[in-house]
Amino acid sequence: MPTIEVNYEDLLCLIGKHVPLDELRDKAVLYAKGEVDEVDGAMLKLDIKDANRPDLWSAEGIAREIAGRYGKKGLPEYDVKKPSLVVNVDPKVMKVRPYTVCAVVRELKIDENVLSQIIQLQEKVAETFGKRRKEVAIGIYDYKKIRGPIKYTTVKPDGIKFVPLEFSEEMTPKEILDKHPKGKEYKHLLDGCREYPIFIDAAGEVLSMPPVINSDYTGKVTPETTDVFIECSGFDLGFNMSALNVLVSALADRGGVIEAVKVHYPKGHELNKTITTPDMKPKKFSINLKDVNKLLGIGLSADDAADLLEKSRYSAKASGNKIDVLYPSYRQDIMHWRDVAEDIIISYGYNEVKPSPPKLATIGGEDEMEVTSRKIAEVMTGLGAQEVLSYILTNKGNMLGKMGLDGGDAVEIENVVSANWSVFRTWILPELLEFLSRNKHVEYPQKVFEIGITILPDSVSETKTRDVRKLACAVSDTIIGYEEISSTLDALLRTLGVDYELRAKRHGSMINGRSAVIVSGGKEIGIMGEISPEVLNNWGIEKPVAAFEIDIEKIKF
Amino acid sequence: MEYKLTDEGREYLAKGLPEKRLVESIDKDTGIKEAKSKVENFSIALSWAKKNGWVKLEKGMIKVLKRPGKIPEQDALEAVSKGKPVDSETLNTLLKRKLIAEDRETESKKAMEMVGKEVTNLTPELIKTGVWKDVKLKPYNVRAVGSRVYPGKRQPYNQFLDSVRAKLVSLGFKEMTGPHIETEFWNFDALYQAQNHPSRDWTQTYALKHPTHGDLPDKKIVDRVKATHENGWETGSTGWGYEWDPKKASNLMPRAHTTACSARRIAQGVDVPGKYFAISRCFRPDVIDATHGVEFNQAEGIVIDEGLTFRDMLGLLEQFAVEMAGAEKVKFYPDYYPFTEPSVQVSVKHPDLGWIEIAGAGIFRPELTEPLGLKQPVIAWGFGIDRLAMYKLGIVDIRELFSRNLQWLRNSRIIR
Repeated sequence: MPTIEVNYEDLLCLIGKHVPLDELRDKAVLYAKGEVDEVDGAMLKLDIKDANRPDLWSAEGIAREIAGRYGKKGLPEYDVKKPSLVVNVDPKVMKVRPYTVCAVVRELKIDENVLSQIIQLQEKVAETFGKRRKEVAIGIYDYKKIRGPIKYTTVKPDGIKFVPLEFSEEMTPKEILDKHPKGKEYKHLLDGCREYPIFIDAAGEVLSMPPVINSDYTGKVTPETTDVFIECSGFDLGFNMSALNVLVSALADRGGVIEAVKVHYPKGHELNKTITTPDMKPKKFSINLKDVNKLLGIGLSADDAADLLEKSRYSAKASGNKIDVLYPSYRQDIMHWRDVAEDIIISYGYNEVKPSPPKLATIGGEDEMEVTSRKIAEVMTGLGAQEVLSYILTNKGNMLGKMGLDGGDAVEIENVVSANWSVFRTWILPELLEFLSRNKHVEYPQKVFEIGITILPDSVSETKTRDVRKLACAVSDTIIGYEEISSTLDALLRTLGVDYELRAKRHGSMINGRSAVIVSGGKEIGIMGEISPEVLNNWGIEKPVAAFEIDIEKIKF
Repeated sequence: MEYKLTDEGREYLAKGLPEKRLVESIDKDTGIKEAKSKVENFSIALSWAKKNGWVKLEKGMIKVLKRPGKIPEQDALEAVSKGKPVDSETLNTLLKRKLIAEDRETESKKAMEMVGKEVTNLTPELIKTGVWKDVKLKPYNVRAVGSRVYPGKRQPYNQFLDSVRAKLVSLGFKEMTGPHIETEFWNFDALYQAQNHPSRDWTQTYALKHPTHGDLPDKKIVDRVKATHENGWETGSTGWGYEWDPKKASNLMPRAHTTACSARRIAQGVDVPGKYFAISRCFRPDVIDATHGVEFNQAEGIVIDEGLTFRDMLGLLEQFAVEMAGAEKVKFYPDYYPFTEPSVQVSVKHPDLGWIEIAGAGIFRPELTEPLGLKQPVIAWGFGIDRLAMYKLGIVDIRELFSRNLQWLRNSRIIR
């Protein structure tokens, strides 16, 4: 899902071996569920398909995965030094953003390229994995400018002032939300909060106001930075731990030394204990070879399977049919042995598998309504009508207002993108008039029809709506008689063998005295008539139009 | 066609039709004997007078109901005698009564006048009389094309969708359907997409203002889905580890993918082995441009059988790529879908388009199938049908699949 940019040479350095570009594109990058979208000089644009593997969303993560096939098999190991820094959590954060997990990484050599990779990973993880910072917000700071212990607390909207990133003047949290571009972008995440979350150090220096903005002083990483403090904050502890591990692993792959941080959740906070983060211990899982072979169909031995997993950066030990695996802490996507099995087959190579189509004797068949629709369409085209196809989504203006109707129940969209597509159509005729209005300079007579779904509110059905398939037909010419449309309807219904009668009835879109309901089997199955000049004016149509619309689910033939 | 009067016809022209003479010569109620004595051809007269509704017989008396003014047959006799045209209904009556006959003489006389001449129109007279042999039929400008007419036609995109449908049926797939407005339960929860999954963000899918909530299915299914999300239930999974909210699952939304149909179908019960497909309209809140629509069609299918494998899936997809897209070569790439594991993307080498991605597929996660009551593996595939349609229709803007251009539709060719 995420698209990332990496430097080809940098990627090779991280892999530790030269991989020609063709080989990288056609083979190696597939191990990281990636695809090379674009090569632009030294830069590669990669599409990483797995939305549940944030560890793959950086040059470091991709290289780590690929390196398994180029000599670096097995579990990547990360040393975590004992904590020296403490972060004290104020129970007040329970009300706004209850959790944080933190780490320190030292001895980094950050050049422009590394810096851009760090920023890219931070953004992708917070935006995609962290649901636009809602679930995970990430702050990375110059640790040398910070004095511990750090406090994670809340302040009133005007309770403090600091210089936000890329600004030069001090602002209150409220001013930041109103004026700073990031403030405006993420303001909604603090909607309804009476106080805002804040990280502040022992010297009273503000680090950041998550999930919105870092301070310009501590919260800015530059090529001069060697030691960083990282925090992730959000609503779910496990989720944030995963995100932290992804970032820390990437920095460690750059030669950083990881140092743990003690995060103290006191009484009053629901967690009520001190935790040491990051927790980089590998996780355990067991799989059964028989299950794997039954799923994959390629008859692997236990040793083969274990070796393929080692290449996927697992540690794997086979005994009989059982394979015990350890996998890296940054992976939070493994829920079922199927997830491990997929890594085995990716490691094996999809294109190394010899496809064998299953031989299943089954009988095919179409949905009954599709057959019905096609039969009707056959008759309509035989009657000289051109079929058109419209969206099911429309708007009230087209469906009601322009048709001379007011009111009428319809299914409405909440998060409208364009006002043009805001309700589901309850009838098709307005779409045909819209179509005719766009073809005023095309040769007449014009005769068009559409068979399609309409959606009606229905309080008794499971989905409180009902799909109803309808047929609408419209005829337009310089002079048009009622007969033009009634003979088409008659020909259709006679051909279908449907008995019907027409009863005069007023319709808001039709000329008074020139509209009827179509009755069959004692039920009203549709309407027919000549469109009123007022409605034609609304659409800007300059030639008369006669039309009918019927509910094809109500007719029996 | 030319006609002339028969002898009988000439007699009636002079004296009047017998039925006319009958009603004109008797009183309102007249005995049959008396009447018979008054007119010639009495039986003919009576039967036509009755047929025309002028008289009726009652207790041996003829009752006059109506005395006619103008009689079409009488006027027609006069017209024929003068060579004037007569309407075909009356003409047929006179022919049946043998009051007139075809006048071959005049006809051939007329035709004879054409002998040796150059004529434009071949007429019935020329054909019947054989005179066509003796005339010169003027040559037409055979290269001239008549005025353009437009037949009634199916919409090209619909034609394409029908051809896909026919192909799938021929491959043994049964069509499945589902509602356009779905509960999140069937669109997401039953597919094991966690309630806080990014794809459930409201920028990714539409939500409804009215109506807002639907009903959840059978409690047994709901309980299993809830347990699977929370702790994996009996599927062997860890689950997502959060508290599942039935209220969120009952939110209504326009269907965002066809997989909702597959989940419903599985819950209803499927044949083993079984193959099902759906081609259906789906909705996403995109800004409309040449490559994005808020509405699009997806084709999706599921294949169920005891012991289906990843290898079977690649075989099926390869067969598909050849049958559906005329692929020359097929390649498979690792891919990700929240509801399949393993997942695969299918790229094909198309004779005209080169390498293109055409399908995504995978084996449904047990977290999807088992709570819905199915133990067997299910291969699921989704097909990029709009892209193939654009190629077949020769268009580059996805909006034109729903073209508003009548001239384009009229000029469109049949889609094979």
